[in-house]
Amino acid sequence: MKVMVCLKQVPHQDARLDVAADGSWIQEDNIKFEINSYDTYALEEALRAKDAGEAEVVVVSIGPDRVTQALRTALGMGADRAVHVKDPEADASDSLGKAKILAAIAKQEEPDVIYCGLMADDGNFSAIPPMLAELAGMPSATGVISSEASDTSITVRRELEGGCREVVELPRPCLLAIQTGANQVRYASLKGIMQAKKKPVDVKTAADLGVGEQVGAGAAKVKINKIYIPPKSDQAELLEGSTDEIVTQLVGKIRELGVL
Amino acid sequence: MEFNFSEDQELLQQTVRDFLEGECTAEHVRQLWNTETGRSAEFWAKLAEIGVPALLVPEEAGGLGMDERDLVLVLEETGRAALAEPVISTAAVAAPLLRELAQSGKPGLAEKWLGRIAEGAAIVAVGHGQSPFVSDAHVADLLLLAHADEIHAVEPGSVDLTAEKSNDGSQRIFSVDWTPVGETRVAEGELGRELQAASFDRGALACAAQQLGVGQRLIEMAVLYASQRTQFGVAIGTFQAIKHRLANAKVKVEYSRSVVYRAANSVALHLPTRSVDVSMAKLTASEAATFAAKEALQVYGAIGYTYEEDLHIWMKRAWSLDLAFGTGAWHRERVAGAVVDSALPAESFGYSAPTA
Repeated sequence: MKVMVCLKQVPHQDARLDVAADGSWIQEDNIKFEINSYDTYALEEALRAKDAGEAEVVVVSIGPDRVTQALRTALGMGADRAVHVKDPEADASDSLGKAKILAAIAKQEEPDVIYCGLMADDGNFSAIPPMLAELAGMPSATGVISSEASDTSITVRRELEGGCREVVELPRPCLLAIQTGANQVRYASLKGIMQAKKKPVDVKTAADLGVGEQVGAGAAKVKINKIYIPPKSDQAELLEGSTDEIVTQLVGKIRELGVL
Repeated sequence: MEFNFSEDQELLQQTVRDFLEGECTAEHVRQLWNTETGRSAEFWAKLAEIGVPALLVPEEAGGLGMDERDLVLVLEETGRAALAEPVISTAAVAAPLLRELAQSGKPGLAEKWLGRIAEGAAIVAVGHGQSPFVSDAHVADLLLLAHADEIHAVEPGSVDLTAEKSNDGSQRIFSVDWTPVGETRVAEGELGRELQAASFDRGALACAAQQLGVGQRLIEMAVLYASQRTQFGVAIGTFQAIKHRLANAKVKVEYSRSVVYRAANSVALHLPTRSVDVSMAKLTASEAATFAAKEALQVYGAIGYTYEEDLHIWMKRAWSLDLAFGTGAWHRERVAGAVVDSALPAESFGYSAPTA
């Protein structure tokens, strides 16, 4: 069995985020990065599949040189090899462009399962997993909190609104978008990190994958116009009185706003 | 000449930091204070799974075959997390001592213990001439003890231990009553003296590296507190009286960082300046950490004195590490001796001058 895991490197959760001077994105110089938290659960799910039997785990990421560290960490945790799409045009792509790049890799790798994180800590689009599944012609499930593989299919439990769960069976090959907390993510070992140096990292461009014309800023259908920090407001109003009085005041406020 | 750490070394450091941030919380450290041994076999097994005890164990014995330049960043993280486990004695001192014994033509002890250290199956306590006490002797599977110019490998069943008091709830130190006999002697004479000196320097270097992490953590805690605690309607961190305290602590920690890294290089390469470099590292890092502890306490104010606040975990660690593997006075005396006697060899940092 072959398993493909899509990883995104995002700013470290403790990094101080400042908006870049041109307002197009955050200032990325001199901040630390880490693997997107959702993707770590996806990777762990893949490594558990490997632990359970004969599976090759291929980790894939798009980004500049710094992404090497995320891939090395994943290899140190137990992944077998990596594909690094290092291409400024790929970086400038929107979610659809990146999904096309990942689909091109999936076409080459022919994985039995693709694991993704449900969303990215920085962009929060949740867009790539379903796009990639569609482009790769695979059934998919999002919000996956556990999975169990058989010879021909995978049965997953999905997290729904209101605390409900859904059990879905998907034929392989398929794509699973993993929710955080789905498992206990292992740590990379120092030995694993050192051994990771000997594991292959295949560096490619979008053109190498045959999708050079379909990706990049020019092909993007979604463009980020502006990143900004919302201004602080001091317009909060505390309602006082008994519960009945507060409810009456609250209903009045809502009516004033025209919501009711 | 390369003065930077490699990407690999920084990735190792980050890996250990991620592990300790997840597993070695202040709550975990406090829980261990209330246990009989103050140590966790389960946690030691996790550390071994990550590979920490194996760092200085040769590859042929199942280790990672690294040196002190790799270990120093890892030890820094163990200090930052106030880790209580016997990393210094087992990973930083005993493993290379056993390796050097094997290199000196006495492979038996290394063959028996190095693999077990790498696997996390053995803890080794180390005694040295600068302290009457031995840390972690109560959980040791083997004690390596100094006597005159000899080193003895002693089984725990043949010693009597008396627990000694410590301010640091994580520190477990013991008086060891034992009798040196021929059967336990593994080195003597010139070899014994050399190995004792090298082991002592490794221990002092390890303490200095941990002090870097302790000092850094104290500053981080004080900065966080100063940014949240308000007085006169603003965060106290906006007051110059607070900012300058923390700035002074930061300067001391950053200054000592270079000195500690240099000492790690000297130990790894067996440079002639090793002992003086280690003493300077121990001095500067301990002064930085204890200074950071004092300043952090001033920033916290009265709440910093309370048991419930976590600050004292790192303060007490700074104090206990300050006294371990040679006091400040002892190390200052060693540096002074080298300076006054002009005994310091020409500086090379271990690198040869480029040839034309």
